[in-house]
Amino acid sequence: MDCSQIRDAFISGEPLPEEQVKEHLASCAQCRALYAHGAALGQRLAAQAAEVLALEPDFFGQIEQKLEHEVGFRAWLRSRPTRVRFAAAVLLLLLLVVVGGVLRHRADFSQYPLPRVGLLLCVYLLAIVLAFGHELSESPRPNAVRDYAGLLVFGLAVPILAAFAPATEVSRQAGAEGALGCFGYGALFTLPIAGLLWALDRDERPSIRTVCLCAAALGLSANLLLELHCGNGNPVHVLLGHASLGLAWLLAWATARRISRA
Amino acid sequence: MLAICAPVPSDEQLMAAYIAGDKAAFRELFRRYSPLLQRAMARDLRSLEEANDLVQQTFLHLHRSRLDFEPGRKLKPWIFTIALNLKREYFRRNKRRHETSLDDDRVPEPFEGPRGQERSDAAREMARALQALPAEHREVIELHWFGGLSFPEVAEAVGSTVAAVKVRAHRGYVALRARLGEGSPDPEAMHEGKPSVAESK
Repeated sequence: MDCSQIRDAFISGEPLPEEQVKEHLASCAQCRALYAHGAALGQRLAAQAAEVLALEPDFFGQIEQKLEHEVGFRAWLRSRPTRVRFAAAVLLLLLLVVVGGVLRHRADFSQYPLPRVGLLLCVYLLAIVLAFGHELSESPRPNAVRDYAGLLVFGLAVPILAAFAPATEVSRQAGAEGALGCFGYGALFTLPIAGLLWALDRDERPSIRTVCLCAAALGLSANLLLELHCGNGNPVHVLLGHASLGLAWLLAWATARRISRA
Repeated sequence: MLAICAPVPSDEQLMAAYIAGDKAAFRELFRRYSPLLQRAMARDLRSLEEANDLVQQTFLHLHRSRLDFEPGRKLKPWIFTIALNLKREYFRRNKRRHETSLDDDRVPEPFEGPRGQERSDAAREMARALQALPAEHREVIELHWFGGLSFPEVAEAVGSTVAAVKVRAHRGYVALRARLGEGSPDPEAMHEGKPSVAESK
């Protein structure tokens, strides 16, 4: 005997074998609570569970109508299995980082310390993979704040650390100029990823969680790209031109969300 | 005669049929799940329309996620995971605080039940007591009692362990009893009280 059988018996009124009930109650605190004081709680819960609510007459027809609109490229894309959607997002990101890095890589690229690039690649990719994986899956989301707060802190901390971390061969003497160019370059390369993430999202309206996770992923993607592109290690330049991309994406998605709600 | 003897397809078989393109299977899933989902949704919402909207969204999401459904997996906790995510997002979007404490007497009036049907005072009191529970306790009790999920299924739907959801259910029951004026649990009385459902009825 298990708790579900006890519940079903309360709801249906069907009697259960007494010995088995006793045996179950001896080891089950929650069912004992149902039976206490004349089983009042069990009976009251059963009465609530037996309530029948009214469905609108053409309720299924309304759903069928909405399903008829589920056609086209976006409908096809967001109905792909999660692993496919996840792979598509990460592959596009890697493709853009590689293309961007090959097209215009930093002047001191040959002297760039390999351990630093390896470390940065690993840290950024891990964060991006976590953000994408978390966002695209159908896992339970009992506490969104706890879910994405860590990622957001990470997303903000990494570029700041990158800006102030000691780096060989990086010109700290350079000025903050060119930050706007870097910002535009990063934004341009992450634009296709933003579009793909929007297309892959299954929710009718983007949630706060979606906005934050996508912004974190896009900001980190842009930072990864700019790390290969720009040798200017001036902290102001890095914070304004590189790290600000995450914030910019957050504002852009939040604005789009507000407009879509209006 | 053969039709009468034909076994009723399981939820998982229906889902597999729907993935393979059988639209009638989707209709049957809707018939089975819409009352459960509606009851689970309506508890926290102020109107049946809001609950129905979330039920609709759940089925749309089910359609979009159908290729994620893996053979061997149970359908019920999976659908309820989708529904719970949508409900939580609904509350966040509407900035409505639905996590209340037992000490808070300003509990919002819960959904009033079917149209044109008066709820008894006892039912109303029970609904309000449920509404006043902390969200994590209420969620487990509602899924178990109104969604028809077993505790292992509840654990899967909320992303927790079976032991944890049982503890939450127990705390919820104790709090409900206190709220309903049944006093604190008395282990002796519990054993001596109503040993079988048949007797308790």
